[in-house]
Amino acid sequence: MPKHIMRLMVLVAAAAVAGFSAKTYFTDKSYYRYGHYRGDSVAEIASDTPRFRGNAYCKSCHEKQYAAWAGSPHNKPSEGRHVQCEVCHGPVGLHPAREGVPPSFDERLALGAKHVSFGAQDGPPGKLPARKDQTECIQCHEAMPGRPAAQRQVELAAHAGTAPCVSCHDPHAPKISFSGMTDKPKGNAAAGKVLSANCAACHGPAGASTNPAWPNLAGQHAAYLITALQAFKSGARPNEMMAGMAAGLSDADMENLAAYFSGRSCKVSGADKAKVSLGKKRSASCALCHGPAGVSPNPAWPDLAGQNDAYLGATLKSFKDGGRSHPVMSSVAKTLSDADIDNLAAFYASANCK
Amino acid sequence: MIGTMAQAAPYVGYVYPNETDIPWSVLIVIYPYITGLVAGAFIVSSLYHVFGMERFRTVARFALLTAVSFMFFVPVPLLFHLGKPQRAFNAVLTPHWTSAMSAFSYVAGFYICLLLLEIWFAFRADIVSLSKTKGGLLGRAYRILTLGSDDVSGNALAIDHKFAFALAVIGIPAAGGLHGYVGFLFGSLKSREWWSSDLMPIIFLLSAVVSGIGLLVVLYVAYSKFRKAALDDACLQGLAKTMWAFLTVVLLIEGLELLEMFYKQLEGIEMVQRLIEGPIRYGMFLQWGLSLMVLATLSYLILTHARGRILATGMFAAGIGMMLGVLAMRWNVVIGGQELSKTMKGLLIYYPEILGHEGLLAVLFIFLCPFIVLWLVTRFLPPWEPEAGKEVSS
Amino acid sequence: MESDTSEAKKAEPGSALRRNFLRAIGAGVACAGVWMNDPLRAATPAEEAAPPDIPGYDWRKHKWAFGVDATRCIGCLRCVEACKAENGVTQDAHHFRTWVERYVYLEGDEHARVDSQSDPGNIAASGSQQAFRFDNRYASAPVEKAFFVPKLCNHCTHPACVQVCPTGATYQTPDGVVLIDHSYCIGCQYCVQACPYGAREFNHAMGVTDKCTWCYHRITKGLQPACVEVCPVEARVFGDRNDPDSPISRFIRNNRVSVLKPQTGNAPNVFYAGIDKEVS
Repeated sequence: MPKHIMRLMVLVAAAAVAGFSAKTYFTDKSYYRYGHYRGDSVAEIASDTPRFRGNAYCKSCHEKQYAAWAGSPHNKPSEGRHVQCEVCHGPVGLHPAREGVPPSFDERLALGAKHVSFGAQDGPPGKLPARKDQTECIQCHEAMPGRPAAQRQVELAAHAGTAPCVSCHDPHAPKISFSGMTDKPKGNAAAGKVLSANCAACHGPAGASTNPAWPNLAGQHAAYLITALQAFKSGARPNEMMAGMAAGLSDADMENLAAYFSGRSCKVSGADKAKVSLGKKRSASCALCHGPAGVSPNPAWPDLAGQNDAYLGATLKSFKDGGRSHPVMSSVAKTLSDADIDNLAAFYASANCK
Repeated sequence: MIGTMAQAAPYVGYVYPNETDIPWSVLIVIYPYITGLVAGAFIVSSLYHVFGMERFRTVARFALLTAVSFMFFVPVPLLFHLGKPQRAFNAVLTPHWTSAMSAFSYVAGFYICLLLLEIWFAFRADIVSLSKTKGGLLGRAYRILTLGSDDVSGNALAIDHKFAFALAVIGIPAAGGLHGYVGFLFGSLKSREWWSSDLMPIIFLLSAVVSGIGLLVVLYVAYSKFRKAALDDACLQGLAKTMWAFLTVVLLIEGLELLEMFYKQLEGIEMVQRLIEGPIRYGMFLQWGLSLMVLATLSYLILTHARGRILATGMFAAGIGMMLGVLAMRWNVVIGGQELSKTMKGLLIYYPEILGHEGLLAVLFIFLCPFIVLWLVTRFLPPWEPEAGKEVSS
Repeated sequence: MESDTSEAKKAEPGSALRRNFLRAIGAGVACAGVWMNDPLRAATPAEEAAPPDIPGYDWRKHKWAFGVDATRCIGCLRCVEACKAENGVTQDAHHFRTWVERYVYLEGDEHARVDSQSDPGNIAASGSQQAFRFDNRYASAPVEKAFFVPKLCNHCTHPACVQVCPTGATYQTPDGVVLIDHSYCIGCQYCVQACPYGAREFNHAMGVTDKCTWCYHRITKGLQPACVEVCPVEARVFGDRNDPDSPISRFIRNNRVSVLKPQTGNAPNVFYAGIDKEVS
C-alpha cells in the first residue's frame, strides 16, 4: 500500500483515539448515573433555599397580627380561602436577618458556583411592607368579569373612590362590623354635664355653638368626640385653644363629656338654598363614609348634618391646604374647589340631623 | 445583569406570553441555508465523480472546494445563536440521541472529514507538484499535506481514484443525511403546525440542491468572467437541466403540502392563512415568484438549446434568483413557523435586529466569510484544469 | 450507516486494499455505535442507583402531580409574582414559569377573547413589568361567560422538551418532575420550540433555558410549590399521587379532570377542572 495512504490511516486512527479519550475525560462523573443527565444536578437543584416560608414562621414574632388574621374572613380554610401572610407581604426569605441572605444571581455567577440557580432578587431585608395603596387589595377584590361570584368584589368607583383601603379596613381582619359599634356611650353623662361648663363658653351649654366658626357638639357620635379630644391632647390635631382645654382631661373625663354631648339633641342651622342644591350634587363622594344625608353609619366618623357651615368650610379648607391631615380627607379635599366647599358646607348645614 | 434583553415581538390575537420572546432568530434562517448550499454543490461534484457525467468535469473540483468552504461556516450561526457557546461541546460529550440536534456535531464533523479527504485525493497530484515548486511558508504547507510522500505513479493515482470514488459514494447519503436532518429538525416538532410535516426533510433536501446548484452557477460564471476564461456551454446546459429537474419536484411537493394543509381544514387553518397573508407575505411572494421565474427561464434555455452569452446570462440570473428564492423559503419556514403561535389563536411579528450578535449585520458577515475562504482556497488549490480555459497563474 | 457500506461495496469489486479500508470504517462505525449507546452506563436505571443526596427525601417514594381548578381562580396573579420571586425568573412580562390566562365570551361570541400578562393593556394596568395585574377592560361589556386559567409546565409523562434536548441538560426524574440543569444547558432553545404549551422560557441574562420545576427545592423539603402556597382560593392543588389522601389524589378523584392538548401524546401531569373547549 502506498506510503501516503498508510500515513493517512494512522492520522485518522490517532484522531479517533484522541477524540474518544477526550470525551471520556471531560464527561462529568455523575453523568448516566440515573439516566441521560448529570446525576449531581438533582441534589443541586433541590438544595436551593425556599423564600416563601409560610404562616408559622411569621407567627413566631407577629402574634398579634396573626391572631387578628386567624379569626378573619381572610382565613376560612373551610371555604377554601387562605390568604396567608406572604400573599400580601411577599416572600419572607431570611427576614429579619440581614446576614445569610442567599447570594444574588450575579453574585453566584461571580463566585463561579457549579450549579448557579436563579436566586431571587432580594428586596431590602428586614422589612416586608405590603403596599398601602389600593393595589394590594384590588388584585383580588376589584369587581371583574371572570372572578367567581363567591369572591367578595367591589366596584371601586362606587365603593371608596381612590381612598386607600386601609383607611377603613384592617387588612389583617378586613371585615368592618358596624353592628358591634354601638353609639351607646360608655361615659357618665351627668359627670360630663358638670365638666361641660368649661366648654360652654364656645360650644354653648347644650353643645350648640355660639359662633358658626366653632362646631356644634350636640348629637355628635361619642366615639368621634373622644377621638377628637384625644387628637387635640396628643397634638395630632393641632389647635391652640383645644390643646389647652384637652390637656387637663383624663380618658374618663373625655368619655363623660362625649356621653353628655352625644346625648343632646342637635339643631339645624340652615343655609343659602341655591348653595344647598349645588352642594347636594357634589356630596356623592362624601356619602360613602358620612352617609347620604350627612349622618354617618359608623360612629368613628363624624355626622355632618346640622353642623355649622362656617366650621365645615374652614375644616375642608384646612384639609385641603394641609393645616389638618387625614389619610382620606386630605386627598378628598384636594379634589374640591372653593365653591364646592362652600356649597357642601351649606348642604350639610341645612341637612336634617335627627 | 449579563447579556441583553431580547426585544419582545409584537403580536395579534392570543399568544403564550413566553412566545413573545422569539427563540430562533435570523441566524437560524442562514444556518439551513448555508447547509443547503453545501449539499447542492456537493451533489454536482458527485454527478461527475460517481455518476460519471463528464460534462460536469469542468466544475467538479471547484464544486468540492465550494462545498468545503461553506461547510466550515455551517456551525458558525449556531454558535452565534447559542446562549452558552462555550458549552457547545456538551452536545458532543453526551449526545442525547433522541434529539435530532445532538447528531449535528457528528454528522457535520463526519461530513467535513469526508469533504477534506475527498479534496485531498482529488488534488493530491497538484499538491505534490506544488510542494516541489513553491517555497517558504506556502511550500511548507504543501509539503505537510503530501504526508511526506510524493508518489504520483500511475498505480498510486489509481488507488487514489478508487478512494475518492468510495468517499464520493459515501458522500451522497451523507450530504442527503446532513440536509435531510435539518428538515427533520423542523418537521419532527409536533408543537408547531407550520413545521410539523413528514415532507419537511424532502423539501429541505431538494430545495438545498437547487440553491446549491444556483450558487455554483453564479460562482462559475462570475469566476470565469474574472479569469477571462471561456464558459463550458455543455456544462451549463447540464446544470440547467439538473436544476430544472430538482426545482420542478420541489415546487410540486411544496405546492402539494400547502394544498393538503388547506384541504384538510384542521383547527387553526384560519391562522395559517393569516400567516401567509400577513407576516410572511413578502417572503412567500419572493419564494414562489422567483421559483416560477427561474423555472420559466430554465425551460426557455433548455428548449432553445441556448448557448454562449444568452445561456451564461440566463443561468447567472437563474442562479441568483434561486439563491434568493430558497433564502426566502428558509425565512418562511424558520421565522414563519415561529410567527404562527402555538395557541393557533394569534400571530407574532418578528423584526430582526440590525446590530448585535443575532442581527442582520452578523448574518451578512457570516455569509460573506465562505466566499472569502473559497477565494483563498482556490488560490491555494487551483481547481481549474488547464484545458478548461486560458490558465491564469496564481 | 449500513446503506453507506453496502452502496460502497456495490460500486466496484474491490481490491484487498479497499476491503481493509472499509473494514476500518466499519470498525469505526461499530465503535461509534457502542460509544453512542453506552450500554454499560445505561445498565444502571434510576431505580437501582442510590437516590440523589437530598436530606430526608427519597425520589422513589413519590409521584407528584398538579391540579388546577379554574372555577376557583380569581385572577389575582399572586402565583405569578410568587413564582418569579421564589425562582428569580426574569422580571418582565415576557418570561414566565407560570402565568394566568383570561377567557371571555361576550354575548354572541363564537370564540373566546383571550389575554394574559404579555398583553399591553395588562402591562399598562400594572404600571410595570415587575408586578402583574389584569386590567378591567370588560367591566362594562356584555360578558356572557368569563374565567381565568392558570398555566404552568405540565411535567408531561412523555415530555417533548426532554426528547429534543441535545445534551441531556433537561430530564425527567423518577418522581415525575421535569428539571433543567442550568449548568449544563447550552442555550439552543430547541426545547422552547418543542414544548406545545409554551411553558419554557429563555433567560437571556444566564444564556440558558428556564422552566417550572414545581419548586423542586421546596417539595423535596415537604413544602408546597410557591404558587400553591400563595394561592388564596385553592385554585392550585399539588401533591403526591402515591398517597390516596393527598390533595391532588382527592382533586383528581372528585373532579372530571382533563389535560391540555391530549392529542400531542405528551400525557401531561397537570390536571384541569372547569375549563372550556377553547382552552389549550
